[in-house]
Amino acid sequence: MTLRPSPVALLVLAVPAALALSVLVGSNPVPPGDVWAALTGGGDATARFVVADQRLPRTVAGVVVGLALGVSGALMQAYTRNPFADPGLFGVSAGASFAVAVAVAYAGVTAPAAYVWWAVGGALLASLVVVALGRPTDPRVPPTRLVLTGVAVGAVLAGLTTGISLSDPDAFERMLTWHAGSLIDRGYAVTLAVAPLLVLGALAAAATAPSLNAIALGRDVAQAQGVDLRRSDLLALAAITLLAAGAAAVAGPVAFVGLVVPHVVRWCVGVDQRRILGVSAVAGVVLVLVADVVGRVAVLPGEMPAGIVTAFIGAPVLVLLARRSRATGL
Amino acid sequence: MHLPRLSRPSRPRPSRRPRLALAGAALAALTLAACGNPADSATDEGGDDDREVTHARGEATVPADPQRVVVLEPVQLDTAVALGMTPVGAAVLNEAAGVPAYLGDDADDVQTVGTVTEPDVDKIAALRPDLIIGTETRHSALYDQLSDVAPTVYMASQSDPWQDNVRFTAAALGDPEGADELLEGYQERCDEIAAEFDTEGRTAQLVRPRDGLVTLYGPTSFAGATLECAGFTTPERPEFAEEISVDLSPERVLEAQADLVLVTTTDVEDESTIPPSITANAASFPELHLVDQSFWITGVGPLGGQTVLDDLERILSGS
Repeated sequence: MTLRPSPVALLVLAVPAALALSVLVGSNPVPPGDVWAALTGGGDATARFVVADQRLPRTVAGVVVGLALGVSGALMQAYTRNPFADPGLFGVSAGASFAVAVAVAYAGVTAPAAYVWWAVGGALLASLVVVALGRPTDPRVPPTRLVLTGVAVGAVLAGLTTGISLSDPDAFERMLTWHAGSLIDRGYAVTLAVAPLLVLGALAAAATAPSLNAIALGRDVAQAQGVDLRRSDLLALAAITLLAAGAAAVAGPVAFVGLVVPHVVRWCVGVDQRRILGVSAVAGVVLVLVADVVGRVAVLPGEMPAGIVTAFIGAPVLVLLARRSRATGL
Repeated sequence: MHLPRLSRPSRPRPSRRPRLALAGAALAALTLAACGNPADSATDEGGDDDREVTHARGEATVPADPQRVVVLEPVQLDTAVALGMTPVGAAVLNEAAGVPAYLGDDADDVQTVGTVTEPDVDKIAALRPDLIIGTETRHSALYDQLSDVAPTVYMASQSDPWQDNVRFTAAALGDPEGADELLEGYQERCDEIAAEFDTEGRTAQLVRPRDGLVTLYGPTSFAGATLECAGFTTPERPEFAEEISVDLSPERVLEAQADLVLVTTTDVEDESTIPPSITANAASFPELHLVDQSFWITGVGPLGGQTVLDDLERILSGS
């Protein structure tokens, strides 16, 4: 057992590798030497544009989205004690998609940079509605009602989104990549706009993390151990909502990352929720960056949205894991 | 389940037959004497009022001079309005926006009957059309339902050369010569602009921002063909041999360069609708103009073509 390379160590090595790939590889090939020149302020205009205007900002966006999805997914699975829970369960992604659909259809919004406020608003509003409708009155009760409410509200919003898109198929053809989840053309302004949400979400996640191990044993046990369930729930809900809303606002609804990452991580690092949370954050970053890089070169001269790549990677991994029942239990 | 279906096609007829019979009797003396076509009138109830149209589904008998036409494709709406045969109903690309504004006042009264991809059969039936024109590639599944409402003819595909689709629509409406006139007018306007601005040998590229990606339209697209018709050349790309457009990663946006670059938008006054990847390379796009996508992209047809050419002339005289 001690001879096996630690998955965590491998993951730590994977981060710089993914960052390097994200800066070096793209749909417009730039030799590594020119990339270096562009990074240090030299090089020709094209290389500087490709590296400094395109790859660096979307790498930053990818890091932020990966962190947010990894952490919110891990929190969601711990909080609901469901190994297949997704951070979108509280209506966050559906709310973001619905708001962006409204923006495109009725407010004439066309650029991903302008979607961000709509997405944040929609995501937060939808999750507030879900929490208001489904919050358990007794903190010892598992949050099943919350999850069901989230699924119901999400389904309603998804239906409305489809309705809007059917009334204006042309506009929605233009925003297909957003709906798949993508980092194309995400400038620093987009990431910066949601940074406050993500910082707040990360703080809430850090504050609730210590109680997660007790909650994983059962909510009655946690209360017996002196965990303040109301405070812990509030922090967990705030963290999940803020992080998932931030991720959806930057990239759109990226599929599977928040679901698969914590799942795989749990299988690798064991049952300590604090470790799962931290490692999920790092693994989320690696998965999103690699998916984005694959998407950039998959359909030249165009690009495939990262969300389609994560679905391609995520779905088979999920099926494999679901079949290993020993590893999937919480 | 079969009974109501069988009885449906005959539903409109009982109300029409007495009228037809009356009208037929009243007109018989006049028309027979005037046109001298007794062979037709002997065949069935339609008489002179009918003609045959060959379309994507075979042959259809349609009124010789249709009065209440419903069209399900933008090029059909544009052509019908251009011919002065404004339809009573049309499927539109965007229900919120309705009938495109570039069609002018004539088209104000056209009722929308759902979207081009999802026409609403009930709304169509409520307009009591006497002719429906649709598109096989889009509305194939609706043919039987629509035929129950009114004689229906289908254009083969919206991807066919648009001028062929204009000719088909005019023929379905009973005015094939009208199409030739409209298309000649378009060609003359092209030649005028080509001569006036000496466009020969200059390149032009239409760019459509699409959620971060940029889509370049090629010479077989409606806008690309119109630019070429006006004397411009589209910068060559291997993809244009088979596709009307190609999606580019923003990293490759410099491949969109041309002597004249036109970027489509919903608001030509709003410069923020130019994609950031193009703004970042402003020096590489010295001749760049925002153009209205409602006719540059979706205005397929003779009126849309004239509107595009007017816009092109405005841009060229301004620069």
